[in-house]
Amino acid sequence: MSTKKITLLSSDNELFTVDEEAANQSLTIKHLIEDTEPENGVPLPQVHSKILAKVTEYLIKHANEPDNDAAAKEELKNWDDKFLEKVNHETLFDLILAANYLDIKGLLDLTCQTVADLMNGMSVVEVRKLFNIVNDFTPEDEAEVRKRRKRGTKTIGPSNDQANQSNH
Amino acid sequence: MEEISIEETRNWLELPQDVMSQIFLKLDMVEILHSVQNVCTLWRIISKDPLLYRSIDLRNQWDVFDSDENDMERMSKEGVERSCGQLVEFSMEHFGTEELLHFMANRSTNLRCLRLAYCYHISDEALMAVTKQLPLLEEVELCHCSFSPAALETFGRFCPHLKSFRVDHQGIRCPLLDCDDEAFAIAKSMPQLRHLHLFGNKMTDNGLRAILDGCPHLESLDLRQCFSVYMGGDLEKKCKDRIKKLKLPNGPTEDYEFVAELDDFESFDADYPSGVSEIDFISEDEYIEFSESSYFSDMDDFHF
Repeated sequence: MSTKKITLLSSDNELFTVDEEAANQSLTIKHLIEDTEPENGVPLPQVHSKILAKVTEYLIKHANEPDNDAAAKEELKNWDDKFLEKVNHETLFDLILAANYLDIKGLLDLTCQTVADLMNGMSVVEVRKLFNIVNDFTPEDEAEVRKRRKRGTKTIGPSNDQANQSNH
Repeated sequence: MEEISIEETRNWLELPQDVMSQIFLKLDMVEILHSVQNVCTLWRIISKDPLLYRSIDLRNQWDVFDSDENDMERMSKEGVERSCGQLVEFSMEHFGTEELLHFMANRSTNLRCLRLAYCYHISDEALMAVTKQLPLLEEVELCHCSFSPAALETFGRFCPHLKSFRVDHQGIRCPLLDCDDEAFAIAKSMPQLRHLHLFGNKMTDNGLRAILDGCPHLESLDLRQCFSVYMGGDLEKKCKDRIKKLKLPNGPTEDYEFVAELDDFESFDADYPSGVSEIDFISEDEYIEFSESSYFSDMDDFHF
C-alpha cells in the first residue's frame, strides 16, 4: 500500500501533510499532483488554513472507507454527524465551497445534506434569516404568488386535463 | 498580511448554482414549493429545475398544508408540471383525487414507482386507466385501498417491468370472507415479480399455491396476517425452499408501517347466517390459545 505523503499549501501559506490515499479523494488535488508534480506542496490558493484543517481531517478519516463492515460504517456515520455538529454557518459555507472546488464528493454531499437539514421545516422568513438573504421580489412577484395560492385554496375547477382524460 | 475572518458573514447567493441545486435535491417537493422558491428570485429560478421533482411524496404532509386538501392538490400538480415528464416516483397517503392521479399519469410516462395508501376516493376505473399510461412501472404499492382483482391484474398486463407489488389490507380472521381472487389475479398476470407483499390478504392455501406457480422468480414474500393461509401439506416447505425472505402469516408486526390492528369482526355478527359454528368467531386471543393446542392437530405436516 502506498504511504507516499502529500503536502498541501493553504491560501495563507500553511502546510498540511496527508497520505496520498487520503489526498486522492479530492479529484482536484489528484489531478494537480498528476499534472504538475509540485515539489513544495500542492498550492490551494482558494482554501484558507482554517478550512483546509477541517478538510484534511475529513480526508484522513475517510481514507479507508469500509465496504461491507456495518459496524465500521455506523462508526463513520456517527463521526460525520459530529464532524459538522459545532460548525457555524460561515464555516459550513466555506467547507461547501472548498469541497466543491477540491471535488470531494463525500464532503460535498455531507455539507449539502447539513444545509438541507437546517432548512427543513422552516418558513420563508426563517430561511431568509438563517442565510441572511434579502427578499428581492418585486411587489408584482409577491402579488403573483399570493394570487396563485388563493386560487389554489378555492375548489379546483375543471382543467384541460379532464379533456385529456376523455381521450383515453 | 490581511487576516481573513472566518466569522465574517457569507453571501449564500454566491454559492455556485449547481451546488445550490444539490442542496435543493435533498429537500422534498413540498419544501421547495412551499418555502425555498419564495425566498428570493435566484432561488426561484433554481427551483424550476425539473430534476428537483423526480420524486413527489405526499405522505404525512398534512401538517405542512394545515390540512388544506386543495392547497396540497394544487401544489402536487405544480410539482408534476415542473418535473417535465421526468417524474419517477409518486406517493400519496390519506389524500388524492382521481383528477390528480390522471393529471400525474398524463404527464409522467417515465414513472417507475407508484404508491397509494388509504386512497378511498380513487375508483377501479381511474386506477386501471392510469395503469395503462404507465408502462415503465417497476414498483407498485396499494395499501389499505379497495381495488378489485381486475384492477390489480391490469398492472400485470400493462406493466411488463413490474418487479415489486404490494397490496395490504386490514387483517381479519373470518373464514367466511376467504377469497383467492386477488392471489389468482397476481399469479396469472405477474410472472416477472421479484417481491410480493400481501399483508392481511384473505387468500387461502390455494391462492398461495397459485402465486408460487405463477411467479417463479419471487425472492421475497410477506404473508403477515393472511390468516386463511394454513400452509397445509408441503406448502410451508415449498415457500421456504423457494423464497429467500419469507414472512409467515403469524409473523411479528411491530415493524409494520401502517396500523396492524385486526378488523373487529364481531360487528359482522348480524350478517352471518345462522348455523355458523362458534369456532368461526373466536377472538384473536382465543385463536392463539387454540392454535397452540389442538386446533390444527389433525392437519398433516403443519408446523409452526
